[in-house]
Order: sequence, then structure tokens, then C-alpha cells
Amino acid sequence: MSSTTQPRLGHTMPPRVARSSRVSESWRRRLPLLPALLFLVLLTQVPFVLSIYYSLTDWTVVPPGPREFVGLENYRDLFSDEFFGDAIVTSIQLTVFPVIAALVLGTAFALLLDRKFFGRGIVRTLLITPFLLVPVVIGLIWKNQMFSGLYGVVNWVIEKLGGTPVEFVSEHPTLSIIVTLVWQWTPFMMIIILAGLQSQPSDVVEAAKVDGAAPFAIFRQLTLGHLRPYMELGVLLGAIYLIQVYDQIAVMTGGGPGSTNVPYYVFQRSIGGGWQFGEASAYSIVVVLASIVIATFALRVLSRLLKGEAAA
Amino acid sequence: MNRDELSAVGERRWVNAALGVLAWVTALVFFFPVLWMVLNSFKTEANANATPNLDIDLNLDRYREVTESAGGLLSFGEAFMNSVVVVLASTVIVLALAIPAAYALAVKPVVKWRDVLFFFISTKFLPVVASILPIWILARELDLLNTQAVLIVLYTAINLPLAVWMLRSFFAEIPRELIEAAEIDGARLRGQLTSVILPIAAPGIAATALLCVIFAWNEFFYAVQLNPVEGSTVPVWVTTNISTRGEFLAKLSAASVLACIPVVLAGWIAQKRMIRGLAMGAIK
Amino acid sequence: MAAVSYVEATRTYPGTDSPAVDTLSLDIADGELLVLVGPSGSGKSTALRMLAGLEPLDAGTVHIGDRDVTSVRPRDRDIAMVFQNYALYPQLSVAENMGFALKQHGVPKLERTARVRETARILDLEPFLDRKPKQLSGGQRQRVAMGRAIVRQPAVYLMDEPLSNLDAKLRVQTRTEVVELQARLGVTTVYVTHDQVEAMTMGHRVAVLKDGVLQQCDVPSTLYHQPINIFVAGFIGSPAMNLVGMREDGPPRIGEAELTLDAAAGGALANGGGPGTVGFRPEALLIGDGPLPARIRTVEDLGSEMFVHVAIEHGGADLPLIAKVKPPFEGSPGDRVGLQIEGTTHLFGADGERIASGPAALRSPGALSHS
Repeated sequence: MSSTTQPRLGHTMPPRVARSSRVSESWRRRLPLLPALLFLVLLTQVPFVLSIYYSLTDWTVVPPGPREFVGLENYRDLFSDEFFGDAIVTSIQLTVFPVIAALVLGTAFALLLDRKFFGRGIVRTLLITPFLLVPVVIGLIWKNQMFSGLYGVVNWVIEKLGGTPVEFVSEHPTLSIIVTLVWQWTPFMMIIILAGLQSQPSDVVEAAKVDGAAPFAIFRQLTLGHLRPYMELGVLLGAIYLIQVYDQIAVMTGGGPGSTNVPYYVFQRSIGGGWQFGEASAYSIVVVLASIVIATFALRVLSRLLKGEAAA
Repeated sequence: MNRDELSAVGERRWVNAALGVLAWVTALVFFFPVLWMVLNSFKTEANANATPNLDIDLNLDRYREVTESAGGLLSFGEAFMNSVVVVLASTVIVLALAIPAAYALAVKPVVKWRDVLFFFISTKFLPVVASILPIWILARELDLLNTQAVLIVLYTAINLPLAVWMLRSFFAEIPRELIEAAEIDGARLRGQLTSVILPIAAPGIAATALLCVIFAWNEFFYAVQLNPVEGSTVPVWVTTNISTRGEFLAKLSAASVLACIPVVLAGWIAQKRMIRGLAMGAIK
Repeated sequence: MAAVSYVEATRTYPGTDSPAVDTLSLDIADGELLVLVGPSGSGKSTALRMLAGLEPLDAGTVHIGDRDVTSVRPRDRDIAMVFQNYALYPQLSVAENMGFALKQHGVPKLERTARVRETARILDLEPFLDRKPKQLSGGQRQRVAMGRAIVRQPAVYLMDEPLSNLDAKLRVQTRTEVVELQARLGVTTVYVTHDQVEAMTMGHRVAVLKDGVLQQCDVPSTLYHQPINIFVAGFIGSPAMNLVGMREDGPPRIGEAELTLDAAAGGALANGGGPGTVGFRPEALLIGDGPLPARIRTVEDLGSEMFVHVAIEHGGADLPLIAKVKPPFEGSPGDRVGLQIEGTTHLFGADGERIASGPAALRSPGALSHS
């Protein structure tokens, strides 16, 4: 049975695939996603919408008062609130510095760990630990045993080196908190970078060695490029969590100048004692808007990460 | 591919040894505060609150003190139970929701999967304080303040985006042909999950679960705001060991050690798996 | 067992302009082993996946037996597939791998075990039933992948380059086994490969695809001796057919030598619009003292036959040609020789389609008077 079929070049109208099956297919794909999606929408969007509503009211909760609709008055007051401005500055300090410091330190640790030496597993275990601790505990031990003016270990070392002891937490609140954040998040960055180093294909590095490249050059030109998506992921996730730091502030300084970031400020104005739910909600909404702006910028980073995956 | 072998040929041995020593020194310095905390838990208050010394009493007095029932206040036993229940329950629910979601984003992707993924992550851009007010009010209305349930629900919500993100990357690493073979062989979603996806992505799922446990156990804000009286967790209990009268550092250290042990142990045991999981597929 | 047909099946990947598979129409008989062959990007894998249900159709339909399966899910199409990378379930044993599909379809354990064992016997896999895939060699894994398909006794087998990952020797060996097995089982098989040798030696019929369009589908010898266009002519046969572009006007020439064609071919060339191409296989090119001067580039001695690569001057540039010679052959790189054609020569029009074929020969320019 031999049939030579001529190549078709014409464009007759063949029957299209039934549309209904394509439509139900796309719904079948969505189904497994729905539980998680609905759950999250319910728990995040509902409060969000309610917050918008509260932000348009004047509402004192303790002592209980009526909820009056005042439009955008809270937003107007916000601009003249200098404490809010301070809080923004503090937020930036408490996010940018720890992220960068943790990334640099974490990368350094990862590089140290990437070679074989005696007791490597133990060293890695020790280095990971700060990230596993309860953040409240981190704040407390740094405040009471490390930074304490009376019997803190850091001051003890300073004295031994001939300097004068410093009351870290009261005199340098921002720095103190930054130190604890760096200590906590360095292992996180380290793990991510370590994963990146382990996933680097060895044949490229071997080729470079054969070509005569020095180790530092290999690192700068090959490894760093390979680590870039890992670093970006670390910065992205780290920033997301660090923007919302609350625990260390609460137990180390309880707010106060230099250590009140925006979330803590909002807390202070609402259930932390201010009980002005209307105003506090307005602050929250502003933070949300700012986050969206930052997020759109972060989105470009994100979609480059994801497109890199699609292209690969 | 064994990267450790790369440094084998030709590299001067003293360089390797020096770097090894550097690693050890760095680790010990970095770990020191933790070590000191443990030491302090074995000192009397007098010794703990003096200039740094090594006078330890090797007994469990401080531990006994902090775990004794605290009368009307939160006791360690209660806090521990609450934490365990809340963390386990929320992690299980997170996995139960995130695994099918990751399937729908990675294995048989929905057309707009990138947008959905961005939405999931974007819910974490909103600070917790932005939602605490309505949540607090809602919880009060629904009589859910001071319960385990409210924390379980909230911890699920805060961990879900991370879990979906990570599981999606791990599932995306599974060779497409394996899924297709299973599909042709007749497996539906459940069959594909149990026979192909879960066994292969197991390290990644473990890494995700570990991260969820870490974040849930260590969470403080929701716990202290919503459950100040009852149903509170270990992090909150730790703060009750600070006293305005008298010295408390030794007791606080003991309380801190107790609070941190579960997650630290879990992290120590699972660290290799976590790194391998991240290396395998967290990022392409 | 069933016949398969594609009716104007088309698939365009979203975001691309041209279809990956363009209005493919193909009828495959029940029990036939049909090979889909073509270079990468030709759409052969896509066409196979459309039959499997792993790729949706944008237009047209696909049929198995007398069922239109265009919108039927893969698991309900009664097909089995062998993947290029085998796609074995890593944590299941060989026996469990082969029994997986049966289990999904609810076949009771007793029957499952019996069928798995029977298939393992046919494929010499019995000693490996309890091993995991990572404990097997490449060849063994390939057989497990085949076994997984065979045990299902489906209506159609689909094979996507199943031998590509085997080393050369094993590939040739396994080729024969696959053909024998298919003949014995008598199940319709659609087989995709990029290797034209595999295609020619295995298929009852071979379908050649290029850029998503079916070029020609026929038995191997017809493809070889009567290729429908330049692409098929150049793709089928190894080494490839010698193809020489003709000038616009005047008598057809290769180099300075004139090509004499029989009347029909000559007439067709005269009527065609635009410069055509002349093709002749290596076995039709003679090296000796023919009228076309050439220089030897390399000599390949395979023992039972030899291939001599030469270069001629044609149209102002060097044109490489290949001649197949029977040993012994005395000639070395750099030698000057004369070429002659003896055998079938094909004439292709400016559009690439074959116009005519027939015997032809070369002669020096102006050697004879024309009549």
C-alpha cells in the first residue's frame, strides 16, 4: 500500500477543535490552585479592604468611641507627622543595612564552607544556628548579655582592649538592632549562597583553571555571575521579612527614637497604646502603597528570575 | 560532580589548612552568644549578672524555676503544648494547600502562573501590622481571641506564599517526561502526586516544611497581640521571664534555651537536606 | 490494534508565527510501523505528541481506529509511549514500573503480575524485575521502557527517538529487535527519529517532515529512487545525494561539462521557469578520465566500500561532490581526475520539486554536434 502524499500548501478550513473541551481543560488546571488562592485572598484581602475603610474614619477604640467618617483627613495629618517621617528613615536603615551586610557576610561564610576541611559539618552547624533562634530570644540575649553596660560581653572585650564601655542599646539603638538582624539573617543568606555554589557546574570552573585563571579571577568572573540569581533571591526574601521587623524592637528598645520602624510605629498608634485605629489604618495603607511601588520594582527582578527559568 | 576535589591538585596545603582554621575561628566567634547563653543558664543569678566569668553550677535549678507552674500566668508546659499544636497544624495545612497549588503552577501550569505567583508573594509585602487591626477586631467578634485556632489560621496564611514559591520551583525541576509517562499510563492528579512528584521532590518538600516550622515556631507578634491571656506560644512565654524586680538573666537564659531547642535541633538535623533542596531547585 | 489517521492536523505554539505542524494529513494502516523522520524543528515530535494527547490541536483532527480522539485525554486513548529518556519512575522497581499503568487502570494484581512476567520474558528482563532503574545499564533501561509500553497491549505504540541514547553498536542491534518485535505483536506503531538510516531500515513506510510540513510519505525504496523534492532527495541516503545548481539559461552544465539528458527531461528543463538543480547519488558518479575535471580532497576507506570526496569548479566556486567506489581504488588527496555520471539523474525545478528522472551523462563542451 503506497501513497505518496503531496505536501499541502493550501489553506482549506479544517474543523476546529471543540471549544468546550479547551475551556473545561483550563478550569481543570485551575482547580488545584483554588484552595490555596481562596484561603489567601480571604485572609489578606479582606483585612486589607477593611483597613482602607477604617483609614477613612476617626475611631478611638479605648475608651470606646464612635467611628466617624472623615474622608482623607487622616492622610492629610500624616504628612505633618514628623514621627512618621522618622519611622520611615528607621525602616530604611533597618532593612537596607542588614540585607547588604548579611549578604556579604553570608557569602563570605559560604565561600569558607565550600571547601573540604576537618569538621566542616560542625562549623556549618554552628554558623546556621542564629537563624534558628527565636527572634525575641535574639533580642533579649543581645540586649542583656552582650550589649549590657554593666556586664555585657562586648563591653568586657572593649575594656580589655583599653576602651571605655558603651551603653549600646540606649545610646546606639539603631546600630544595636542592626547588629542583631545581621547576626540572625547571615545564616539565611549563607544557606542560599551555599546552594548556589553547590549548583555551579564544575566543568566551567575546570575549563577556566586549565586556561590558567587565578582563583580570584574565577570567582569574580564566573562564580559571581552564577550566584547572581541566588543573591537576588536572598535579597528579595530578606527584604520582605526585614521590612516587618517587630520582635527585636519590642524587646530591646520598646520603640523610641532611632529604633521605631514603620510597623512598630503603626503598632504604637493602634493596639500598642494609641488606640487610634483610624489614623493607624491610614499609616498602614500608606505603607501598603509604598510596598506596592517597591514591589513593582522587585517584580522586575522577579520576572527576570522567572524568565531566566523559562528560557533555560 | 564533586567540587571538593577541585582544590586537590596543586593547591598549597597550608592555604587550605589556614582557611580551615579561619572557618573554625569564625564559627566559634559567631556562635559565641549562643554558647554564652547556655552557660549563663547554668549560673546563679549573682554570677550571671556580674562581669563575665565562668563560674557555673552544673545543675538544672534555673530550668526547674522557669518551668514550674506560674500560677495564673502562662506556664512553660502550656506554652509548649500550644506551640507544638499550632506549628504542626499550620505546617500540615500549608503543605496540604501548597502542594496542589504548586502542581497547578509548575506541572500543569495555569496560563497566568507568573501573575498568580506574584500575587502570592505580594501578600507578604503587606506588613503584618497592616492587617492586625481588622484581624484583631474580627477575631474578637468571632470569639477567637486567645485560641489556638486563630494562630493556626494566621500562621498558615503567612507561610503559604513561601511554601508555594518553593514547592513550585521544586516541582518544576521534575522531568516533564516523567509526568507525561504517568499521564499516559492513566494516573490522575493523586496518582501523579503520589507516584512521581512527591517521591522525587521529597527533599524540597522537607526543606519547605522546615522553613515553615522555623517561621511559625518563632513568630511573636500575632501570638502576643491576639493571645495575651491564653493559648499563647513559647516566644511569648520567654518574655514573661523578664522581671523588673531583681535579677533575671540566668533564668531568662534557661528559658531561652528551652524555647529554642526544638527548632535548633530540627534545623541541625535537616540542614544538609535544606541546602540540597535549595541547590536542587529553588532557583534555576 | 487500530489504524491511525491525521486529518489536516495543525499545531502552532503560542507566541510563534509559523505552525510547528502544518495541516498534516496521514493515514497509517493497522499494524503498520510508520516512521516520522526529519531534522530538528521539523515537527515530528510534535506530531507524535498530538497523537498522544500531550499536545493540543489548533485545527484538524486525529483518529485512532474509528474514534475521533482529538479531545480525548491521553489516558483514555489506549496508547502507550516510549520516551527518548525512558521516563522510568525512579523509585519503583522494574516490575512496578511495567505494572504501573495496569494498576492505574484497575487490573487485578494476579493478572498484572502475569502480564508483567510474560513481557519481561519476551524482553529478557526477568533477572531485573526487582531492581530499580538506577541499577540498570542504558540498554536495560531502554528495554524496560519498551516493556512498559508492551505490557499494556494498547491499540497504538508511540515511540519518540527511543534508541537515541544508546551507543552506536547497541543502537543497531536494538533496531533489529524492535522491528522483529513489532512484526510479531502486529500493533500499529508510530516511530519518530532524526536518523534517516534508522528510518529507512525500520519503517514499512517513512514520512519525511520539514518545518512542520509533510514532504513525502512512502516506502523507503520510493523515497530513495523517486524523491519528490530536493529536500527529500538530500535528506534520504547516506552519504547525501550530490546536488548541483544549474545556470539560468543554456544547456545544463556541471562545471564546464555539458549534461546530456533524455528528451523528456530536456524538454521539462526548457519549459521550467528559473534555474533548476540536478541531483545524482554518489554511486552514479564515476572517477576516472571523464570529461569533468576534479581534484580529490579525501578518500574514505570503509573496507567494503570507499567514498572519495572531490571538488570541481562550478559557477566560479569550488563545489564538493562525493563518489562511491568499490575497492581497490588508487588515488590520493590532491590528484587530478575526470568525472563521469552513469546512472539515474534527477532534475529539480526552481521550486525544488522533482521534474524528471532518467539516465544522463556528461560530455565536454562542444564535443558533439547537437541534433
